[in-house]
Amino acid sequence: MAAVFPIKPVWDQPGSSRIPFWAYTDASLYKRELERLFYQGHWCYVGLEAEIPNPGDYKRTVIGERSVILTRAADGSVNVVENVCAHRGMQFCRERHGNKKEFVCPYHQWSYTLKGDLQGVPFRRGVKQDGKVNGGMPKEFNTADHGLNQLKVAVRGGVVFASFDHGIESLEDFLGPDMCGYFDRLFNGRKLTILGYNRQRIPGNWKLMQENIKDPYHPGLLHTWFVTYGLWRADNKSELKMDAHYRHAAMVSTRSQQAATSEVTAGVTSFKAGMEVNDKRLLDIVPEAWWKGPTAVMMTVFPSVIFQQQVNSVSTRHIQPNGTGSFDFVWTHFGFEDDTPEMTERRLIQANLFGPAGFVSADDGEVIELSQCGFEQKPNHRTVAELGGYGAENTDHMVTETLIRGMYNYWRKVMDV
Amino acid sequence: MSSNWIDAAAEADVPEDDVTQVAAGGVELALYGAGGEVYATASLCTHGNARLCDGFLDGHEIECPLHQGKFDIRDGRATCEPATEAVRTYPVKIENGRVYVDLG
Repeated sequence: MAAVFPIKPVWDQPGSSRIPFWAYTDASLYKRELERLFYQGHWCYVGLEAEIPNPGDYKRTVIGERSVILTRAADGSVNVVENVCAHRGMQFCRERHGNKKEFVCPYHQWSYTLKGDLQGVPFRRGVKQDGKVNGGMPKEFNTADHGLNQLKVAVRGGVVFASFDHGIESLEDFLGPDMCGYFDRLFNGRKLTILGYNRQRIPGNWKLMQENIKDPYHPGLLHTWFVTYGLWRADNKSELKMDAHYRHAAMVSTRSQQAATSEVTAGVTSFKAGMEVNDKRLLDIVPEAWWKGPTAVMMTVFPSVIFQQQVNSVSTRHIQPNGTGSFDFVWTHFGFEDDTPEMTERRLIQANLFGPAGFVSADDGEVIELSQCGFEQKPNHRTVAELGGYGAENTDHMVTETLIRGMYNYWRKVMDV
Repeated sequence: MSSNWIDAAAEADVPEDDVTQVAAGGVELALYGAGGEVYATASLCTHGNARLCDGFLDGHEIECPLHQGKFDIRDGRATCEPATEAVRTYPVKIENGRVYVDLG
């Protein structure tokens, strides 16, 4: 009988359809993920330009586990700096967001511009006492050498990505042409408006959130809300698309106009034909021209973010890991500057489907937690993600786990597992 | 504008190419000797909570000891970030070896 706890984890299966439980529980692998997926070679989501509209505006967030600050400098530029003082390493910024002329570390008042350049060091030239000057920094001390760590920044369609890796490819190359197309469909140059946030800590491995949105198998089975009110059906016209590395994906679906009682849902025990939603505004769905057809496009941009269009509800979902078995999930619900007040109201009402207590998303938080529980109890076992076969390829249907296999195909390469 | 000339210090007590602090008429002042002239500004930096008399005078620029913001002592304007707001200056006249400052 195989050991429950592997001494040295080895992925002995070919391909990526059987994922070892230890891929979600092993602490040293997790550190490698932070290093190779969040800190090198990948653009990570940090926020929306609309969150920092004015000079001096800033927002504190994270990339992987590293605290960073998104800022709008005096010259209007968008910057991302690491929230670690160049002096003694303190995470000096504690507010989630605000407006400042400069950053000052409270410990010794080293002060920085919003671009992260060091401005002033108290007693740099010493302290005068009785006609002589005591102490101070060495003459060679050059403020230009001691700014905050400044990240490489890419802005597209009002969305800000950053990377610690200054040698990284362009954001457009990182996304690839197909994903860029879906990205630009949602962020097509209109100014965004911020409608609000949801924030939750989910006690599961961060990859499970990516997998959740790469898994079109579950919505019609787990999310009774979707099925009951006809928002998601397994026979929806749909496509699954990935980038060339299989790391990013788009689940594209168009709601069926058929009655919601055909045989596709007949076997789903959760389908309750007699149920009606009391607040009809939740289903007050109005097609928008920019959809160009699909009623839902869920984009997973590896590793840090999900871009959601589910009918009129649009949001970004930021994945912020904090250990093998926990991550923070931050939803930013937004709209567009040309939205009518009715459309803004509609987006806000539909946002009730999502977030920690959403009619749909509450289910995902639960199953992610319980999956992690299963993984922790026998790390040497593995999942079976073999719906639709063993490989990773784009499809024109939803009855497949191809996107999950694609992600682990990429993960194994980058992680050397 | 009314004048309010106050005897602030002996001219000999203002160091050349440096700064000293005095209190005159209830106001904390920084007095500077630069290029043979005497200048006066408010003592408190407009940026952080620091006294300019503890700073370093370079020509006609005073550098705050705390964050290295700078001001021109002739007109008070901020010349280097993080200082952005001018420091108040006061007219100065020398009579009989005394420094008089117009507190206005």
